[in-house]
Amino acid sequence: MLVEPPSTATGDIAFNLIVFFLVCASVQPDAGRRQTIPRSETKSEKTPQTEHVEVQLTRGSVAINGDVVHRRQFVPRLKALLAGKVRPEDKVVVVKSKPEVPYHHWITYTTLIEEAGGIITVLREEEQEVRVP
Amino acid sequence: MKIERKTMTAEVPSLAMGDIAFNLLIFFVILARAHDDSFLNWKPAAAKDLQSAGHAKVSVLIDTDAKLYLNGQEVGVSQLSEQIRETLGDAPPGERNVLLKVHRETPAQRFEPVIEAISEAGGDMVHILEEEGE
Repeated sequence: MLVEPPSTATGDIAFNLIVFFLVCASVQPDAGRRQTIPRSETKSEKTPQTEHVEVQLTRGSVAINGDVVHRRQFVPRLKALLAGKVRPEDKVVVVKSKPEVPYHHWITYTTLIEEAGGIITVLREEEQEVRVP
Repeated sequence: MKIERKTMTAEVPSLAMGDIAFNLLIFFVILARAHDDSFLNWKPAAAKDLQSAGHAKVSVLIDTDAKLYLNGQEVGVSQLSEQIRETLGDAPPGERNVLLKVHRETPAQRFEPVIEAISEAGGDMVHILEEEGE
């Protein structure tokens, strides 16, 4: 005997299938970290600039003002450098990354900078086109 | 002689309900997909103590192939700032969230201009990450 599924149920089956796939598709991470990066100014400031702390990132290491530091020493070292700086503009930490630095490495250290009380500013390496005659 | 009126019952055919629901659902799914980036392939970086990202009008994504998307549509980095500014309009602070979803291995030369563009557009940047240890 040939037993066919009742055709009245196909609508409900389709509906449930769509709901199932929608739920599967919408499982995306929606948690994150807020980060405020000051807007870059086009006008050049004539006021004397304070010396900012500089963090250099490479693929496997990090340096503060040129000195390579271990990850465990990073926050205490930065805190010490930022100690005594009251104004927000003095707490600016310039982050210079090598072009190959991966995002996960960058986010780790920028998070640590914020933990230490720094305000992140990104300084990009200018791309230069060299033409050989 | 009084002729009695015939009473007729008008019922919505229940058989069509499934089809109606089905078509409505497809309509809303297509509508939602136009501003969705769930079909894109990327792996978030891990971090601790994450907060809820909240509602955002703008979502910027860099996928595994280092392609840049704004609300699911591929864009160039040069147009990004202007397009974010247009989408955000005059939204007050607190409603200017921009979700930034970057594939964990994306190099700095690709994601830094994007961060700069979001900052220039006046967006409140939220890095979408996954909880460390998951």
